[in-house]
Amino acid sequence: MSLLQVKNLKKSYVTKSMLGKDEEHPVLKGISFELPENKILGVVGESGCGKSTLAKVLTRLEEFNEGEITFNGRNLKDIAAKEFPHEIQMVFQDPYQSLNPRKKAWEIIADPILVTENISRAEAKARALEMMKKVGLLAETAERYPHQFSGGQRQRLGIARALMLRPKLLILDEPVSALDVSIQAQVLNLLLDLQKEFKLSMIFISHDLTVVKHVCDETLVLYFGEIVERAPSAKLFTDPQHVYTKKLLESAP
Amino acid sequence: MKDFFLELSRDIRKNKGALAGLVLILVFMLLAIFAPLLSPYAPDQVIEGALRLPPGTQLNNNFFLFGTDDIGRDLFSRLLYGSRVSLLVGLSVVVLAASLGTLMGLLAGYFGGWTDRVISRAMDFIMALPSVLFAIVIVAVLGPGLVNAIVAVSIVALPNFTRLIRAQVLAEKNKQYVQAARLYGASHLRILFKEILPNCLAPLIVQGSLGFSDGVLNCAALGFLGLGAQAPTPEWGTMLSDARSFLETSPWMVNLPGICILLVVLSFNLLGDGLRDALDPRLKNRA
Amino acid sequence: MLLEIEDLSVKFKTDSGMLEALRPVSFSVAESEVLGVVGESGSGKSVTNLALMGLLPANAQITAKKILFNRKNLDLNSQKELRKIRGSQIAMIFQDPMTALNPSLTVGYQMIETLRCHFDISKDVAKKRALGLLERVGIAQAEKRFTAYPFELSGGMSQRVMIAMAISCHPKLLIADEPTTALDVTIQKQILDLLLDLQKENKMSMIFVSHDLALVRKYSHRVQVMYAGEIAESGRTEDVIQHPHHPYTFGLLKARPSAHEGGAKESLYAIPGVVPSLKARPTGCQFHPRCSRSTDVCVNVDPKLTGTSQKFACHHPLETP
Repeated sequence: MSLLQVKNLKKSYVTKSMLGKDEEHPVLKGISFELPENKILGVVGESGCGKSTLAKVLTRLEEFNEGEITFNGRNLKDIAAKEFPHEIQMVFQDPYQSLNPRKKAWEIIADPILVTENISRAEAKARALEMMKKVGLLAETAERYPHQFSGGQRQRLGIARALMLRPKLLILDEPVSALDVSIQAQVLNLLLDLQKEFKLSMIFISHDLTVVKHVCDETLVLYFGEIVERAPSAKLFTDPQHVYTKKLLESAP
Repeated sequence: MKDFFLELSRDIRKNKGALAGLVLILVFMLLAIFAPLLSPYAPDQVIEGALRLPPGTQLNNNFFLFGTDDIGRDLFSRLLYGSRVSLLVGLSVVVLAASLGTLMGLLAGYFGGWTDRVISRAMDFIMALPSVLFAIVIVAVLGPGLVNAIVAVSIVALPNFTRLIRAQVLAEKNKQYVQAARLYGASHLRILFKEILPNCLAPLIVQGSLGFSDGVLNCAALGFLGLGAQAPTPEWGTMLSDARSFLETSPWMVNLPGICILLVVLSFNLLGDGLRDALDPRLKNRA
Repeated sequence: MLLEIEDLSVKFKTDSGMLEALRPVSFSVAESEVLGVVGESGSGKSVTNLALMGLLPANAQITAKKILFNRKNLDLNSQKELRKIRGSQIAMIFQDPMTALNPSLTVGYQMIETLRCHFDISKDVAKKRALGLLERVGIAQAEKRFTAYPFELSGGMSQRVMIAMAISCHPKLLIADEPTTALDVTIQKQILDLLLDLQKENKMSMIFVSHDLALVRKYSHRVQVMYAGEIAESGRTEDVIQHPHHPYTFGLLKARPSAHEGGAKESLYAIPGVVPSLKARPTGCQFHPRCSRSTDVCVNVDPKLTGTSQKFACHHPLETP
């Protein structure tokens, strides 16, 4: 059963002009794909291909213009606002910008459950500490502020926060792109472990082909808002069909 | 939060100007608080035969450190009690303008659209008029008096806070930590006050400090024009105004209140500048 | 040797005390050579470059035993000396092309400004040269781009403009600090190919800083691996990559997903631990807390760079065949 079904998704940005016509810039031009449960889908593309927009649309941070998105059998738009955070969550790209600099580590992680559940701060803190352990952070760092953590640790905080509500689908927008190479491997291993433990489905957006090849079951290649190729990751890299995919693979050093 | 203030106090101590400002402010605060103990006379007490005596005069058993005014009141006592009024005025203006201004800035920046348009145009309107002039108009409508003067000056000070906060909100609201909060279902109100507002503190503190001195100055100006504190309230600006005609004969009646205004405004400006330098992340790596 | 550096160290004066960003390092760059510098955050790779250009903030303290550029002594603390060679003999291109160009001036104006700063030529001559340079770096419609503002250009094009400006004065040494990290992979290849072309054509030396070993392997003759402000290993690129001696180099090479030997979705090799913070440096060898080969001597004594053509700083180097 597919967890997520996207049919003919279209999204445009409109720049309004005072005189003359408003200009429409299509970013997603009719995307269709499916994500089965418990699988990791890679989305690869360069700047302007629409991958970040796709993430925003799937998380309902932005609306889309045309098409259908079905999540777990229901229309994405129909999921109640209170339910949605428990279904889909996101890990953001920038480890510096994705955490509130004025909040302590445990507060950042505990906030999702403080908002959605009626629990005491003490209980929320306890659960946050548990999650911190799961993502490989020491409990004694719970009272620290984001600027006291390294990039890799901050990304772990972001992952911990996203998992607090036990979502079914986790969207990761370039989660390791801003990290040092030696830390990337650590975080990728963590993500793979967590995916198994929490039975997550993931959409993994990246521009780094080698990372995508390693982590994802299947990969989509996006080019200017259209899916130009889709294949199981191994096959995509050994036997690319589309001209653009070939170009991407050739350009990688 | 605690870290923020610890670092801040350390940065202030390094900045000589800010430190001087802070010390002066503390001195004035102490003077204001202990005015009843420190002043030899009541502020509206008239001493027989002590008309326009120069500073340091001894008359019978009375010593007038700063001299007396044209009615026979001790200037030193009046200045001391005047510090209470001025500091109160400054504080009220900042509290009123900062709270209302911050709220409007938050709403305008976060919700955009018509909320933003209405609030921003209102602020533009206030800024388009010269501040003292506008304050005069408001007081003319409300009637003279210290409270109305405070209200008028607060209104005039609103745009500083509103625009400042609005700009910060615009910068913060598209950041990923705010998006994350939206994703886990935080309400707009929660995001505004728990996520965004704490990150707007630095410029708010600086503006608050500078706003204090603006408030004192503007109220003194209104007082000078007879629209602020009314007699016999010992407000420095009013005292200046009342002493105008005696500038040549009894200059201390004009100079001393003027110097007090100068010192308070200066000290808050120094503190505000020092705070701004301390809080500006780009100036962090000076040698 | 175009550039010879002996015992260059950089310390920063901060509220938390003196932080050592670059421990005394010594290295050299030959003429017409591309030296790749690989390192992660805190390795000191960017600090080295900024020190060479005199672009460090005021609280930096730079000391060096000897710096020879083009066989002449160079005092990195003398802005006067640096100004003479900066731009004309040593040029630098930065990581983020979008912020490296002045947003309020047109491309053409910025290029002419650079040229006229170092050459005594008229605006017309400068403009002709600038147009030629823009064409050389592969910008079609050079005339049109000449009057454009930086925000009108894409990332790749902005980087080409930066390269054009950097080579406009025929520098002997070009420092490229992560020049393609902010660019798409297809553009990356174009830019690096261009740089390599220009390097060969102008017989320029290049210091190519990157965190990406694969790129460094493809585009450099020699490579230098830096860690926590020291040089861990250096030598001919192929030698270092095929036969690393330092455990850190080995770890970096192994931690890449492309080097993964197991199946997909299996754990990647990861170097345990994190890069040390400048405020809390370990004793002895800076890498020892993360190294499986560390012994007592590693905890107490910081190894010096030894070796002939391939140098490494390790008490227990790897002996790879």
